[in-house]
Amino acid sequence: MLTKRQNLVEVIKGGNPDRFVKQYEAFAMILKTPITRLKPPVGGEIKNEWGVTLRWPEGQLGSFPVHDQDHKVVKDITKWRETVKAPNLIYPDAAWEEAKADVAKIDRNEQFATIFVAPGIFEHLHYLMGMEDALMNFYEEPEAMHELIDYLVDFELRLAKEFIDHLHPDALFHHDDWGSQKNSFLSPDMFKEFILPAYKKVYGYYKANGVELIVHHSDSYGANLVPFMIEMGIDIWQGVMTTNNTPELVKKYGSQITFMGDIDSGVIDYPGWTRENIAQHVERACRNNGKLYFIPGASQGLGVSSFPGVYEATNEEIDRMSKIMF
Amino acid sequence: MAKIDEVKAMVEAGKTKLVPGLVQEALDEGSAAKDILQGMVDSMSVVGDKFSTGEIFVPEMLMAAKAMAKGVDVLKPLMAGDSSNSLGTCIIGTVAGDLHDIGKNLVSMMIESAGFTMVDLGVDVPADRWIDAIKENQNVTLVACSGLLTTTMPALKEAVQTIKGSGLPGFKVIVGGAPVTQEFATEIGADGFAPDAGSAAVKAVELVKA
Repeated sequence: MLTKRQNLVEVIKGGNPDRFVKQYEAFAMILKTPITRLKPPVGGEIKNEWGVTLRWPEGQLGSFPVHDQDHKVVKDITKWRETVKAPNLIYPDAAWEEAKADVAKIDRNEQFATIFVAPGIFEHLHYLMGMEDALMNFYEEPEAMHELIDYLVDFELRLAKEFIDHLHPDALFHHDDWGSQKNSFLSPDMFKEFILPAYKKVYGYYKANGVELIVHHSDSYGANLVPFMIEMGIDIWQGVMTTNNTPELVKKYGSQITFMGDIDSGVIDYPGWTRENIAQHVERACRNNGKLYFIPGASQGLGVSSFPGVYEATNEEIDRMSKIMF
Repeated sequence: MAKIDEVKAMVEAGKTKLVPGLVQEALDEGSAAKDILQGMVDSMSVVGDKFSTGEIFVPEMLMAAKAMAKGVDVLKPLMAGDSSNSLGTCIIGTVAGDLHDIGKNLVSMMIESAGFTMVDLGVDVPADRWIDAIKENQNVTLVACSGLLTTTMPALKEAVQTIKGSGLPGFKVIVGGAPVTQEFATEIGADGFAPDAGSAAVKAVELVKA
């Protein structure tokens, strides 16, 4: 029997997996380091290391930036240099000891030691100025947006260097939501101009420095961006929603990129969820997408669920489909 | 091309800097303010349709909405007191626990473009706040509640049931957000549902004119 890691490699290389990969089982996430982004406590609010106010409402799965006029970090994109200051990334070796000890415990034959980075470049723009301003500034102040993106890329490259130097991760799990469930936020042309070059640099750096696997989270529509995902070096697009017609993507691009998801969290992970519903969606996803270049799983951006028991039930149903299909 | 047609074309293209001047030129040529406004409302309807079908993306929609807003600024002094084009006031917000505002803001822009006066309560709006807002504002014809997350579906239900259970008259309730379906909207007692910002504006008009 293959290890979790070996099995995943067989899936993404088009080899001979002996079962479906069960969601995040092959990734040991490294979530606690001196330079991991700050999050507010549940029910609380913080100003993070970039000056972005983040609030985490009670009972919700994550935090979200606050963007009323008082809280925007960038109120005028042409003056972004006055308010955007990248945080310090250089810490003494002693500050890395706990993270190094955690990483040392990972069995790398079984799992990928996976560094976690969020938010990504597009989301970071939104964090700093709010979504509407970010999206309109692509049209109204493209030069300033290019400059700010370059600044964020420089930060991401320095972040990558610190992670690689101290922890030598095998994989990167990088969040950047690029769309709604129905379409990409940006047109492909706009994405190509602003986002693609940035990610070619960031993901290229990780790959050039020994990180084997790039996993990108965007739980959205993004079928129109897949050629760019391939060009920037993504190995696995995690969070692919059913609106993308995943089986068609697997057929068209499978030898170049693997698709993880095709089970929308919203349709299985809700108050009053049922095992029968999960079973139905898992079976549909597994049968329609097949054994190669596809990892079944909920679209959510970590190995958890909003409602207790959903993640585990989904894993059990994937096991059931492995017994049937392998 | 008639000046109003130029206004329409430039609103659709999101030319924020050109629209105010063209609106003024249309007025100078003798076009009535309400006709120019109607032309821009028609343009935004086209924009909404193109967004719904995926032909244009969020930035293009935002730019069109901004272009129309710039044009409306020119018309406002001329239309003060003229309520013939108004469809009433729409109270909008995201329900308790939900901070995601992009969908709500897009819907707000599109509903405003259709002829409503918007009162935006922002994000994370507790159930009682909706009631206060309906009481505080005149001629409320529509209440639009948004929830992006499955974890806020109970809050969406609570908001709709509190609003509908208040006994306050004269308005319809429309809901939307990623996990929301027509079935869920019906189940929680909403009057209407829309899957995206373009169709929300169409549904909003349909609901208040019904």
